[in-house]
Amino acid sequence: MIQHIEATRPVLWNITNVWVMYAMFAVSIAVAGYGVYQRVALWRRGASSKSFDRPAERLKALLEHALGQRRTVRERYAGFFHTFIYTGFIILTAATTVVMLDYDFGLPIMRGAFYLYFQSFIVDVFGALALIGVGIAAARRLVIKPAKLVYTDESLLILASIFLIALTGFLVEGWRIAATNDPWGAWSPFGYLVARASQSLMSVEAMRTAHLVTWWSHAALVFGFIAWAPYTKMLHALTGPLNIYAARLGPSGAALKRLDFDKLAETGEPMGVKTLAGFTWKDLLDFDACTECGRCTSVCPANRVGKELSPRDLILDLRNFARGDGDSAFAALVANSVPAAASERLWQCTTCGACMEACPVFIEQATKIVDLRRYLVMEESDFPDTMQEAITSLESRGHPFRGTQSSRMDWAEGLNVKTAASARDAEVLLWVGCGGALIERNQKVVRATAQLLEKAGVKFAVLGREEKCTGDPARRIGNEFLFEMMAKENVETLKGYGVKKIVTSCPHCFNTFRNEYPQFGGDYEVYHHSEFLAGLVNEGRIKTTAQSDKTITYHDPCYLGRHNSVFDAPRRLVQISSRSTVEMKQNREQGFCCGGGGGMSFVEEPKDKRVNQERARQALETGADVVAVGCPFCMTMLEDGVNARKGERDVKVMDVAELLWQAAQDSN
Amino acid sequence: MTDIVICLFSSSGYDRAAQGVVGAGRRLATQLNGRLHAVVAGAHNSELNIRVASVADAVVTADQRELTRYQPELHLNAITQICRDIGPRVILFGNDTYSQETAPRLAHRLGGAAAGDCLELMTQDGAIRVKRSVYGGKALATIELKRSPAVVWLRARAFEPVATSLASVTTVRRIRFDIQADDRTQIVERKSEAAGAARLEDARVILSGGRGLGGPEAFKDLQELATMLGGQTAASRAACDSGWCPPSWQVGQTGKKVAPGLYIAVAIRGASQHMAGISDAKNIAAINIDPDAPIFKSCRFGIVEDYRKVIPLLKEKLAALQK
Amino acid sequence: MNIIVCLKQILDPEIPARDFRVDGEKKEAVRGPANLVTNIFCENALETALQLREKSGGRITALTFGPEEAEDTLRKALAMKADAATLVVNDGSPHPDPLAVAQTLAAAIRKIGAFDLVMLGRESGDWGVAQTGGLLAEELGAPCVSFVDHIEVGGENPGAEPNADPNADPNAGQNAVLIVKRQTENGWEKLAAKLPLVVTITNNEFNVPRIPKTRDIMMSARQPITKWTLEDLGVNAAEIRAGGSYYEVVDLAIPVKEVTCEFVSGDTLEQKVERFAERIVEITRAL
Repeated sequence: MIQHIEATRPVLWNITNVWVMYAMFAVSIAVAGYGVYQRVALWRRGASSKSFDRPAERLKALLEHALGQRRTVRERYAGFFHTFIYTGFIILTAATTVVMLDYDFGLPIMRGAFYLYFQSFIVDVFGALALIGVGIAAARRLVIKPAKLVYTDESLLILASIFLIALTGFLVEGWRIAATNDPWGAWSPFGYLVARASQSLMSVEAMRTAHLVTWWSHAALVFGFIAWAPYTKMLHALTGPLNIYAARLGPSGAALKRLDFDKLAETGEPMGVKTLAGFTWKDLLDFDACTECGRCTSVCPANRVGKELSPRDLILDLRNFARGDGDSAFAALVANSVPAAASERLWQCTTCGACMEACPVFIEQATKIVDLRRYLVMEESDFPDTMQEAITSLESRGHPFRGTQSSRMDWAEGLNVKTAASARDAEVLLWVGCGGALIERNQKVVRATAQLLEKAGVKFAVLGREEKCTGDPARRIGNEFLFEMMAKENVETLKGYGVKKIVTSCPHCFNTFRNEYPQFGGDYEVYHHSEFLAGLVNEGRIKTTAQSDKTITYHDPCYLGRHNSVFDAPRRLVQISSRSTVEMKQNREQGFCCGGGGGMSFVEEPKDKRVNQERARQALETGADVVAVGCPFCMTMLEDGVNARKGERDVKVMDVAELLWQAAQDSN
Repeated sequence: MTDIVICLFSSSGYDRAAQGVVGAGRRLATQLNGRLHAVVAGAHNSELNIRVASVADAVVTADQRELTRYQPELHLNAITQICRDIGPRVILFGNDTYSQETAPRLAHRLGGAAAGDCLELMTQDGAIRVKRSVYGGKALATIELKRSPAVVWLRARAFEPVATSLASVTTVRRIRFDIQADDRTQIVERKSEAAGAARLEDARVILSGGRGLGGPEAFKDLQELATMLGGQTAASRAACDSGWCPPSWQVGQTGKKVAPGLYIAVAIRGASQHMAGISDAKNIAAINIDPDAPIFKSCRFGIVEDYRKVIPLLKEKLAALQK
Repeated sequence: MNIIVCLKQILDPEIPARDFRVDGEKKEAVRGPANLVTNIFCENALETALQLREKSGGRITALTFGPEEAEDTLRKALAMKADAATLVVNDGSPHPDPLAVAQTLAAAIRKIGAFDLVMLGRESGDWGVAQTGGLLAEELGAPCVSFVDHIEVGGENPGAEPNADPNADPNAGQNAVLIVKRQTENGWEKLAAKLPLVVTITNNEFNVPRIPKTRDIMMSARQPITKWTLEDLGVNAAEIRAGGSYYEVVDLAIPVKEVTCEFVSGDTLEQKVERFAERIVEITRAL
């Protein structure tokens, strides 16, 4: 009779004094637990933050980004190895859990088909993939040496540990298979290879000894690794998913939080971040979630043109600061790291958000920069002179452009544009913005927009002289107090006119109205002019009669694209206007900043380190004749950059509204 | 008999500014059928004294030892005393530093009224009126001085000189004062850029740089160009406030008022306060990358390009044309 | 050292020329869309005072003669950390002549009490009269130095320096209290000055006014500002309300200028510069 034996393997074969393993496990968990506890205790010192609402959305993000590794795999090379290692961890942990359930809890699951397909085959494959992953990672770190990584002994040690764990795992498996003549040995292909190789070299006695030694080594390595992990960047295995779950929901344009000035005036606590106490627990968690991957730095436009700013280094500096002396002022850190120059990097940030978009664990680097700026600006008045001028101009003139010779309604000369005061039947408020009104190149954009609206029969009005800056530059530079004052004023003015719908040609105004004014009681339907115009085209209210032969490439404004996910409407306008369009390599969510945000358009950059020139170079690389933009800052920065880089070529920078007007102006 | 006084500080000599004051005084005295008195304070300067004496009806010098070098309180006391003795209807000054700080105080002490940086001097039914530029050069005001004497400091170079000679009939009278030592303020140190260096106000060609130059280095290029054209360098207030050049280069409402034959503005936008300092320039040209820069509204000709590209080429072209 | 800094609130001088209008009847600029700001030279004066106090101690009182709105100027001065602020309310002519202003300020300063150093801007960005400092010095019976851009407390006998004027009295400067440096057409002069003293301040790279810290702005809203009327000061209130009797503005107009700019043409940069150079040479040859 053939006895049907269920496939399985002897657990703890060849091992005695098993209690030692349990003891090691307990110690390991205790040490690891303490490590985690230390981190959690630190987070709890932070201010409160609302990060657990809307669980369904958060779970979805968790699945997509923690499980699905959606951002990590954007980079092929790193994507592969990390997936191999990460899935290896998961599968092997699952496998160990299966062993535990079967052996310690008596659930007979490690048997039969499941044993063969999963516990033997799949586990082996994933173990091998993990080994390969580590190899790829090591090759990258040791041979390719990309600049964006952080080169520490810890990282190498982590890779070595994982390698050894996997290797010893296979050795142990192989020797068991060989020594026990495991009938299902071949279901574990790599263990089987080890078995076959060993059989020709070693006696069974030797294999048993080797197995015993290696098994305890493997245990020591694993438990050691578990104990050690929370004290290293491996902590990201926990903090990464936690950070993804707790990440801010909604567009990144809404990332900045308000301050309670009345409370700060009373308590005397600093405005902005001076010490750790200025951070929320979520910020502190951000520091601990960092995997040192360096992607934020590699996509940072300031860093790309050679400036000192490195979002990764900022986060790691803050992390080290948080773990070291938690009470001394940030100024001490600044003094200790790189004297004076350290705060300089804060003033190189355009708040474009590329860092936040690139981060696989959803750290918010740019918002921390603004938090740090707030302290320097509001408590110390210590910030670049040209930004100071912009702030002073905002305070006294309601716009940041000191020295402009234009007034708010100059752009409307010759057009039949009504102000809100006189147009009571207007459906839409055309918010011109300071850039549109006072920078002469941009006045043409607003004119084109107004003319298109008129052609489409839209009843619109403007605020004219009553329009004041939305306060966006003040907020990004760090003067939250001024921003609040301006926001409240504008909300009052808009309330006075009963404004419900706003169309604006400036993405900064757009972002501020849509994402920030609701906090001040301003709730409006807000459209970027490209969205609104595209809508009019779709409704047939604007018809085009001409189409340009010029090749056009569209540059995504950060505050429209990445921060608010409006990518298609402007492209629609571009496609209508021209027979030929081409995309830059970095577009949409990965768009490269023009260099004008975050108050940077008020700063004189060193000649060889200009963000706008780099983006201009990228645009020129496409061979396009026209660079299309949707923002007055992008217009100014890219015209400057293109003029500097175009040489003899005839390349123009134009707004999508201008392009549409060109195509539509002769229609009925 | 109406007495007009012109007051000059000898340290400047008979420069264009002094010539303007003398010219204005002479014409006013003739117009009012009055006597022109000249007061010259400071170290004895023969040429100045003689030239002035050739057109004035009386010349008084205050050149005793204590007054040789300017000291604010002492010179004010001396001039006040002289003017009290003469009892003029009008006292004219130039717009140099010493004159500007003396005139209002002198007016107060004499119970008169002062007005400054005047472009025109008129009489209206016995009243003295002046025209001056206000609101950063955006408007022109006509002021009537309500008290006598009228103490007016002129934008001296805007007034035509009169012919003078080195032969004169008028005697130069030296006054000795009983100087009350007034040492409440004492000049203890002076620094002048190279003595004999041309005054910006007298330059025929000026190359001027603004905020757009980005730093002191670019000003060296401007200086080279200026030298090639036989001119001088100047700057906007923004450039001076950034420390890129000495304050004496500042041109504008609060800076030098210049009247060159050609003023070339490099990377200067043209704010009205700056334009107020160059409104007397015969020709203004600009190099600016922004075609909408307001300065172009006052220019005879201009080039819309990045000055960094223009300057080296311009040096080449000028060198070639000047051969 | 008791320092009084006089500040004037004016219409923003940086409004674009096309927005600038005058009222021919009232003989003043039309307010229009312009904001009210503190005259920049007054702010330079306050900044100089603050730096002096940082180095050598003292108490700074900010003083303004103006309408109720001028309180904003004083609030900003307090936010910049002046110690006290006083407003003499002007409910009469918005542009009193410089003597009326000087008389009012002098009376206010006497009422404030002790003063050592009075600081003003060299002139204001609206009317640019540049006399208030000198007239105020005469009203107070104090000496005056104009166009000052640096002040420090001096030691004994500062005249003994390498570049000292050889004709200067070697005893000058003994017991001097302040060394003030002032700009001249082509350089500067340093004066040793006893107190009390009036100075008018001009701009340089070191006295660019500081930006007040937000916390200080918030606090300044709660600080008291002393307010006086002309009657409180015992001056000739009627005359001052009428604008004074020193001088009168009989006309104010915007001059019309017509110049069209020739933008040099050329297909290449080289051609344009060539043309530009030609024009330069044409003009300089004719001079």
